[in-house]
Amino acid sequence: MNPVIPGPVPVPLPAPPWLLEFLLVFTFVLHLLAMDFLLGGVVIVTVSGYLGRHDSRHHELARRVSSALPPVTAFTITLGVAPLLFLQLVYGQLFYTSSVLMAWYWLAVVFLVLLGYYGVYWHQLQNDELGPKASWVMLGTAILFLLVAFIFTQNITAMLHPQDFYRLFMQGNVGTIFGSVPLLNVARLAHFVVAAVALAGLGIALLSNRWRRESPELADWGRRYGLTWFMGGTLVQLLVGLWFLFSLPVEIRQALVSDKLAVGLLVLGILLALLALLTAPKSLVAAGLAVLGTISMMAVLRHFVRLAYLRPYFDPHSLPVKGQWIVFSIFVVLLLAGLATVGWMLYMLYRPAATRQASA
Amino acid sequence: MIGIIAILHVFVSHFAVGGGLFLPMTEHKAYRENNPALLEYVKSHSKFFVLVVLVFGAVSGVGIWWSIGLVNPEATATLIHVFVWGWAIEWVFFIVEIAAAFIYYYGWDRLDPKTHLAVGWIYFGAAWASLLVINGILTFMLTPGKWVQSQTFVSAYFNPGMLPSLAVRTAVCIALAGVYALITSSAVHDVALRNEVVSYAAKWLLLGTLIIPFAGIWYISTLPGMAREISMGGAPAVTIFAGLSIFLSALVMVFTYFGPLRHPRNFSMVFAFLIAVLALSTTAVTEWVREAVRKPYIIYGYMYSNGLRLADAERVQQQGVLNSAHWVRTHEVNPQSLERAGKEVYRVQCASCHTVDGYNSIRFAVKGWSWAMIDYQLAHLSSLKGFMPPFEGTEAERQALGAWLASLNPVPTSIIVQPQASAVKSQPNVTDEEGASQP
Repeated sequence: MNPVIPGPVPVPLPAPPWLLEFLLVFTFVLHLLAMDFLLGGVVIVTVSGYLGRHDSRHHELARRVSSALPPVTAFTITLGVAPLLFLQLVYGQLFYTSSVLMAWYWLAVVFLVLLGYYGVYWHQLQNDELGPKASWVMLGTAILFLLVAFIFTQNITAMLHPQDFYRLFMQGNVGTIFGSVPLLNVARLAHFVVAAVALAGLGIALLSNRWRRESPELADWGRRYGLTWFMGGTLVQLLVGLWFLFSLPVEIRQALVSDKLAVGLLVLGILLALLALLTAPKSLVAAGLAVLGTISMMAVLRHFVRLAYLRPYFDPHSLPVKGQWIVFSIFVVLLLAGLATVGWMLYMLYRPAATRQASA
Repeated sequence: MIGIIAILHVFVSHFAVGGGLFLPMTEHKAYRENNPALLEYVKSHSKFFVLVVLVFGAVSGVGIWWSIGLVNPEATATLIHVFVWGWAIEWVFFIVEIAAAFIYYYGWDRLDPKTHLAVGWIYFGAAWASLLVINGILTFMLTPGKWVQSQTFVSAYFNPGMLPSLAVRTAVCIALAGVYALITSSAVHDVALRNEVVSYAAKWLLLGTLIIPFAGIWYISTLPGMAREISMGGAPAVTIFAGLSIFLSALVMVFTYFGPLRHPRNFSMVFAFLIAVLALSTTAVTEWVREAVRKPYIIYGYMYSNGLRLADAERVQQQGVLNSAHWVRTHEVNPQSLERAGKEVYRVQCASCHTVDGYNSIRFAVKGWSWAMIDYQLAHLSSLKGFMPPFEGTEAERQALGAWLASLNPVPTSIIVQPQASAVKSQPNVTDEEGASQP
């Protein structure tokens, strides 16, 4: 154990590390889906809101996408709770250390999210009253959420570098140490933001289908417009992804290249992204599934990168385990029951709406 | 900071549960009485509910988690190790809760009344279940019961304080549902409807506040002896606050009874906010007392409020704080680094409760104390100040801490009194270092 890293707490893990790591990655993917739609959606609504001053289609699209954002914000936050919980469980001593050092910035996330959340609501509820100012509100919201993304990137990367942070700790005041921002983090942030914009584009293309009964032209245009963001974003992502890959330290990249599974995940992830590009104009659902595959591959790969970084310091598989299987089973049963309940409620919400519109 | 976030969260999250009961019950009442005006009121109340609960409730809850991880990572990590599946279950309830709240809000015109009402009940079920889960984790910190020996999830969750606290909090939920409903009902324009909903909301508030004292006595009976003592005379500040909590609750009851219940016609939004402010103050004071009586522990009998486990205390005393903690800038005490070392000891052992000049200011706490006085206090902390954890560390570290604390309030050199310096070999030149070590 490296002397710089505080020891893990002496209470045993309540499940084997592989299960906790699986849940960490799985729930992180869920969080990403909501977060991508939110962050990308906020960016696209800002752009469309600006263009909408002279183009009614852009204006209408911005208004409609904006009305979907409050629930998406709620789910981004809630779905983010689970991965952070499992991260704290397995990597707590690393995560708390980097968080404490940048405590004020890290705490700021809460207030930035709160303001951004109210920004989203403000834009939605007061869209007509705000008029042309609405896109400024959304721009502010976008900046708030991008700042949150930046602080997250910085902290989640910092926890992988205990040695560097120890050096900063010796020089600075605890709580205000943000660290330098290496090019790697810029690439990492860009990787996430571009993914968000692309995925939100796909989401908007899917969403526009629901406008078809009311306004077929808007639905067609919205689909094309969303796809433009998706395809443009994915093409840019191929470059940004490469940039990110090559900004990783040589030893990390080598560790990945020498791991057949990691290479397989990377290649499969890229192939699925290309497949999504090809199928998107014909079938949004197929493209969506392919993108879900890409995101899942990349999330697992990201976990491998984390393990490669931490190999010299910490191995989660060395921690003591005392499984709490009964409570875990209750969790699984409740999760399934909970998802079924949500599914039922959504079904009831959308079914009558469709029949009502059909009969109108 | 934690305090402010936590109190606001408590005030909103209990409303999230109580309001979740209020909405479907009132909606049901409106259908039963065929009262469209009341239904309109429930609709408008649900918008207010969503804006307050889903946004502020959710974000402030995350905020508490954020801040406890920063201020007390050891305790947070311990709680997560013990209760991760509890939190995972709570997370499921949150997802159902949020989905149900949005569907309830967006579903007024799209769902038939029966389904809409069912969604309301699903919301309340999930919300109350999330309280059920977190309540057990909260009471665990004050009454961990058999867990300290057995370390099982069941003994941790079903701890002695769990059920009575659940009763208190459920009653608080009902009362707060009334408080918030008073705010929205005071804004209703139709006079007849306003009179009706104002007195209806007042009944909720009174019902909740009537249950609280009984549940509260049950809860207090499960507290550890010292925790009861602290709140009943042991520590004057805590006792005053405990009394204030009862006084404010009584005030809320009196105002509600003679205000909205008896004279709904004269009720105004200003009055509603007055009651809300009183209720918020009651919440703040009561939660503060609940936190205060747990001292000197953060997990009773297991971990001190500075994150030190009782099991490690002896080792730290022998090895020293500076050699046990990883993140310190100096590992030894010598006359040259006396105050620097003292400041590091302060950061490790004291800073989770004290700041230098802000909250629980340490500069103020030792004002006018000589180094010898401070050293004596530190050496006998647990008997002199039972609500503080004992100082754990070597004698030299204790003296270094004392030296740094004494340097916070410079006094003329003529009256400097030093402790019997046995561990610190040579006498430090205190006056020279005074300026240098000011933060």
